[in-house]
Amino acid sequence: MSEEKKKENLQQTNTPSGEIGIEALPVTTYWADVVRRFRKNKIAVVGLIMLTIIIVLCAGAPLFTDYDPIVDMNLLDKLQPPGSEGHMLGTDHLGRDIWSRLLYGGRTSVLTGLSVALITAVVGVVIGLFSGYFGGIVEMILMRLTDIMMSFPFLIVAIAIMAALGSSQRNIILALAIVGWPRFARLTRGQVLAVKSSEYVESARVAGFGNLRIIFNHILPNCMGPIIIQATLAVGSAILSAASLTYLGLGADASAPDWGVMLSQGRNYLQSDAYLTIIPGLAISITVLAMNWIGDGLRDAFDPKMRK
Amino acid sequence: MWTYILKRVLQAIPTLLVISFLIFSLLYITPGDPVELILGTEDGTVSEEQRVLVEQQWGLDKPFLVRYADFVINACKGDLGTSYATNQDVFDSIMVRMPATFTLAGFSMLLALLVSVPLGILAALKHNSIWDSLATALATIGVSLPKFWFGLVLMIFFSLKLGWLPSTGSADISQGLGTFLSYIIMPASSLALGMAATQTRMIRSSMLDVLNQDYVRYARSKGLKERVVIWGHALKNAMIPVITVIGGEIGGLLGGAVVTESIFSWPGVGRLAVNSISKRDYPMIQGITLMLCISYLVINLLIDIIYAWVDPRIRLDKKA
Repeated sequence: MSEEKKKENLQQTNTPSGEIGIEALPVTTYWADVVRRFRKNKIAVVGLIMLTIIIVLCAGAPLFTDYDPIVDMNLLDKLQPPGSEGHMLGTDHLGRDIWSRLLYGGRTSVLTGLSVALITAVVGVVIGLFSGYFGGIVEMILMRLTDIMMSFPFLIVAIAIMAALGSSQRNIILALAIVGWPRFARLTRGQVLAVKSSEYVESARVAGFGNLRIIFNHILPNCMGPIIIQATLAVGSAILSAASLTYLGLGADASAPDWGVMLSQGRNYLQSDAYLTIIPGLAISITVLAMNWIGDGLRDAFDPKMRK
Repeated sequence: MWTYILKRVLQAIPTLLVISFLIFSLLYITPGDPVELILGTEDGTVSEEQRVLVEQQWGLDKPFLVRYADFVINACKGDLGTSYATNQDVFDSIMVRMPATFTLAGFSMLLALLVSVPLGILAALKHNSIWDSLATALATIGVSLPKFWFGLVLMIFFSLKLGWLPSTGSADISQGLGTFLSYIIMPASSLALGMAATQTRMIRSSMLDVLNQDYVRYARSKGLKERVVIWGHALKNAMIPVITVIGGEIGGLLGGAVVTESIFSWPGVGRLAVNSISKRDYPMIQGITLMLCISYLVINLLIDIIYAWVDPRIRLDKKA
């Protein structure tokens, strides 16, 4: 379905009936239906707007702050509370502007969340597709591995991996990806099993299409709904796990602007300057909340029970 | 039933072998010289004789697979090696701290259930009402907050600002229930938050399913009191899928405990893990990871057994 046609369908949905020619129920595609239902869900739309604002603020950080998050230290100005002159959210123990660190730090956190979700989704989906489609020994080995990976407490394994790999942002992504893919594999395999024996797959096979083409062109698009939902939720949980690992001192190095780093540095000032802890935590919570609202909205939008 | 249990126990063995191999090889390839870590000298002043001695003493001179095999065989005997940092037995050090971690985890679970069961039922009974929206909203917010941050915020308000609760440390229940509660309530709440949120959603949707079932309609049409229908008929059945979710959450609980314990200086395994990581005490990290994974497997095994016992459909299905 082309973009114009999608738009056309959307417009038809929005056109009040009564005009000649379109009194009949508009023809909508599956994806147009999903978009329409998502847009009707107020909370989900609020989540999407929040996320957009966060991404714009973080991506365009230099536009919204005059301070450099690392270099601009001023010990004379340290530990200024929020609302002080020149520093909207105050300064940290080295006199660095918190608003600026928050914006630049968001880049790390959001990027970590997105990368982990993307890597785990791609790896997990491919494994799920192949094991679901081919069955037999391939399925047995891959799913046994998935079961084993899922029977560990994932944060503990991630901590162990971090302890071995050493602390860095890249290793956090790697560790969370290693523990994260089985969820996607299991989910995708279930979806594949559900659509594998459907008539369109059968006819594709009869038409002589190769396995790869059937898997990626015919099966995958029909499994996308749950995968997208899971990926959205995975972004949020990756941001939370990354913050935990960084808080334990296993993440980005101490000078980097990162929400987890900010939280762990605020720890020494809990008594006197609680805002150092509260502000980055709120930033994490709001971002994850936005992701979860979007995820919930998508779940309702994809739910086939609600389909006309 | 016994066949079922035996089958599940046997299934756990390859899982344990894979995890132990994964952890063992990860820590094996880790940069850093164990000899220097053991001797506590990191300036390269270890003499050749010392090195040979230490390597022989700790079995570091053997090939990788031999060392792994030794590790597995010793682990089966309850010997997880000796700590590089403290020279103490790893298994004993962990076992001393396990009760504290389990107390915290168990108490958090209890707290989560105390919140989520009534809230979930309320949301389901008053479906589409303001209560329902409130419960759902709280649940979404609950899973979105970083648990450890919630703990820090609790600490800021209740210990540092108001001075009502001790900010760190722990107390045994023998020191009086009040003292015990005052120490455990904040770490447990911070751990319980995410769980309570997930459980509320789960109980709500599961309760909604059950309330539409024929047997509930039948119980109502028999003229049973609503209270009996809810607590006697509906809840029991609604809890079955919830038990599975709880099993999965134990993992999050044990992982979360690592962070929470280090915030509240709770004397459990989690804090030991964090300390060991900063000292690069690999045998200890290895032992803790393994023990926590085993605990998780055992707890889940118990839950599955309870589950199969409560719901005969499962054990009959598994047998077939």
